[in-house]
Amino acid sequence: MSGRQAIRRAIDWGELAPLHIRARQVADGVYAGAHRSNRRGAGVEFGGYREYVPGDDLRWLDRRSLLRHDRLVVRQFETETDRVLCLLVDASASMGYRGKGAPGAKIAFAAVIAAALARVALTGGDPVSLTFLGGGERAPHVPRSAGRDQFERVVAALESVEVGGDARVDGSMVDRALQGLARATRRGAIVVFLSDLIDLPDDSAERIAAIASTGRVLAVTQTLDPAEVEFPFTGTVRLRALEGGAVVETDAETTRERYLAALAALTGSWQEATVRRGGRFTRATTTDDPVRVVRTILEAVR
Amino acid sequence: MTFLSTLALAVALLVVAPYVAHRLRRRRAEEQLFPPARLVQPAPPQSRRRSRIEDRALLATRAAAVLLLALLGATPFVRCSRLSLQRSGGASVAMAIVVDDSMSMGAAAGDRSRFVRARDGARELLASAREGDAVAVVLAGAPARVALAATTDLGAARDAIDALAASDRATDLDGAVTLARGLVSSLPQVDRRIVVLSDLADGHPDAPPLGEGSAVPVWVALPELRVAAVDCGVMRADRNGARVRVGVACGPGAVATGREVVVEDAEGKTLGRAAAPAGVTGETTVLLPSEDAAPVRARLLGSDAVASDDVAPVLPEMSRGAIAVVADAADETVATGGAPIVEQALSALKLDVDMRPIPAFPDRAEDLAGDVGVLLDDPPGLTPEQRHALGAFLDGGGVVLVALGPHAAAAPLGASLEPVLGHGVVWGGTKATGGDPASAVGALAEPARSLADLGASRRVTLDPEDASATEVLVKWTDGAPLVARRAIGRGEAWLVTLPFSVDESDLALRPAFLALLDAWVGAARARAAPKRTDVGTPWRFPGAHVVDAVGPKGPLAASRDEGVPRLVPPLVGLYRITVDGKAEARVAAPVARELDLRPRAAAAGTGGEGMGERRAAVDISGQVALALLALVAAEIALRAWSRRKVEAV
Repeated sequence: MSGRQAIRRAIDWGELAPLHIRARQVADGVYAGAHRSNRRGAGVEFGGYREYVPGDDLRWLDRRSLLRHDRLVVRQFETETDRVLCLLVDASASMGYRGKGAPGAKIAFAAVIAAALARVALTGGDPVSLTFLGGGERAPHVPRSAGRDQFERVVAALESVEVGGDARVDGSMVDRALQGLARATRRGAIVVFLSDLIDLPDDSAERIAAIASTGRVLAVTQTLDPAEVEFPFTGTVRLRALEGGAVVETDAETTRERYLAALAALTGSWQEATVRRGGRFTRATTTDDPVRVVRTILEAVR
Repeated sequence: MTFLSTLALAVALLVVAPYVAHRLRRRRAEEQLFPPARLVQPAPPQSRRRSRIEDRALLATRAAAVLLLALLGATPFVRCSRLSLQRSGGASVAMAIVVDDSMSMGAAAGDRSRFVRARDGARELLASAREGDAVAVVLAGAPARVALAATTDLGAARDAIDALAASDRATDLDGAVTLARGLVSSLPQVDRRIVVLSDLADGHPDAPPLGEGSAVPVWVALPELRVAAVDCGVMRADRNGARVRVGVACGPGAVATGREVVVEDAEGKTLGRAAAPAGVTGETTVLLPSEDAAPVRARLLGSDAVASDDVAPVLPEMSRGAIAVVADAADETVATGGAPIVEQALSALKLDVDMRPIPAFPDRAEDLAGDVGVLLDDPPGLTPEQRHALGAFLDGGGVVLVALGPHAAAAPLGASLEPVLGHGVVWGGTKATGGDPASAVGALAEPARSLADLGASRRVTLDPEDASATEVLVKWTDGAPLVARRAIGRGEAWLVTLPFSVDESDLALRPAFLALLDAWVGAARARAAPKRTDVGTPWRFPGAHVVDAVGPKGPLAASRDEGVPRLVPPLVGLYRITVDGKAEARVAAPVARELDLRPRAAAAGTGGEGMGERRAAVDISGQVALALLALVAAEIALRAWSRRKVEAV
């Protein structure tokens, strides 16, 4: 790896460094002490109904509802068991972007959120695992575990990762991540996916949303840079994508509206795929308050 | 221009380089990373259009920089032609600028008139003056006059020069140089000079060289003005019935042969035309279609050096003026016979006026039209009609001479001498036999010695009230007025308390009698100015209070000379004058010698050596370099502004 590439792959932490302290601050702001580990799925106490989606365990299909209302409905139960928090963080090249005025790169912001979530979960006694999407061949993987040391391992892995990989070129990147995730999760686990969702393959939304239909709770948080949300360019600009090799020369004023519409369509497709499978979808920019973002995710997976 | 300057200016062709660079540069905008680039739609056409608009200022700046760079390279070889002063040891200079505003300066000098070039030259000289320099401005149009007395206020000098206007006057170069010398000779500056900005065409090409023997150095600048040219002009145009006589004159070397003279009305419609007279001077007659036609001006067609003298207003033909004499031939005829003695005396004076004996003073003022004076020798009073006519004549500026004698004292009932005298006079004996030479004033002061013994035994005595209203020119030895005058209206009445008859006294036989007549006729002619005079000759209006005039170029302000209103026509043409509400028209005609455009010689040493430069080098490389620096700064600012804009994105 050349020096220039190393610099490019290194995470631009900006104002979000150091991760260790920032994650603690965020977690302290979120954590209220009364954490109830509850999940809906296999268990003893009835937890309500929901619409059947393909992939649901047929054992929980409510036959009475089917006979009475001709609708496919599955029963849900609350459990008192521990809940595994599986963090899936996008470390592809596009996550290394930091626009002007942003506090840090997207991967840095995602790392803060992930570390804070890990600290909240570990404080409640729940085990945590960490998997990266992209990040190169040597992207670290943190197996599921609980305890105080796990937080240090998660933070170390987040600090050591380098952005890299082109999901639009490397079609197996998503497969590798999902395989790693499948090994680390089991029914009832909470999966939090932090990504910009920009350069992922077209079928990624369906494949990742399917996680929610296998007894897991999925929360997808789209993490964007303010420049990606606002498109603040003026005049003639020549834009180069970090993945896929796209290069576009355009007039910013006339293209802004169409870009924002395309971004909204992309976000909408992910949101629709996720929610349809019972998952939760949230969106954050790197200028948002991390405490609020973490709290939103926790509210979504509760 | 040398090869090097041409080469330097050729660098200006590189002005296309920035344009080419811009064309090459604008093909690509600056590349920026943007992860969701695949969501952005390309829009190249509009992008290029915007690129052109944003870069235009930068392109213009760079192009201007290249042009200035080329000019800077050529500047040592690019010089401005202008007049400037030279100083000896850097001392202050006293300079009198003589600007010729005569008619000949209306000829062309390149793309402008000689006068405009001279005025510009005066401005250039002033631009090279410094604080402490004294400047005076003298005009050489006749009569020479001071436009600005010597001053160190250069702003006032600039204003004075800006206010100079061309005229059609004759040229008085010698007078102007004399005036200029007087203005600067007494100034404290050691370095004094007279700068003459003239074509030197004063009508005396054989006169001594200008500036010869002058105590103050003379610099005759602008040699390009001294170019010989030819000119013809219309000197007069008089109408008599349907005939208009047009006098045409040409300067040496010019003839009006082949040219035409036309007479136009107020709308410019040609009423008649005739061939111009052949030769240098001549007269042609233009026949009008009718006597009722209203000709306004005569024009000499064709072109020559000066255009302003090719047009002249048409005036009714008139005599040169006459003296009406009312004398009793029976009383005043000398023993040898012939005309009355006063008529013989007027003839002996050979005055440039006609004499018109009339039997009695007319009853109508119109009958005195054309008369500049009326002489009444012992009139037996005046009837009311005659008094009215005399009053109108005097109000119009006429002058009368009344010799009072026994007939005036024995005026019949109803007759009087009003408005000359308000009371009757007395004819009686006197012990004083003659005038007192010591009391004589004015033109009679010298010849009054011949009035010491007139052999008169009787005389006229004026009423004290009338006597107190007169200005006594000569007194009797007993103090009574012998010759007196008084102003009445715009005119003047002269009184003599003896008749001109040799039977009553020897007055008519004395030399002082001729001097008296000469002085009186002179006064009459001065008040009855001719309708056409040379341009620049003052018109005086004695006795008038309000004088308004409109000349060829608009209103003309009257000045006062010893309380007498005075007008000086600066341009050739028609002047409509209102004198105390009475309108009249006068014409200023060109001076014949001004048609001679041959320049007179200038004395040796008047070329300006040591005093000034005709082609002073004005190196503007410093200003060009400053402008270049400013452009470079502007480009840096523009680039910084553009970069900040990109970084903001």
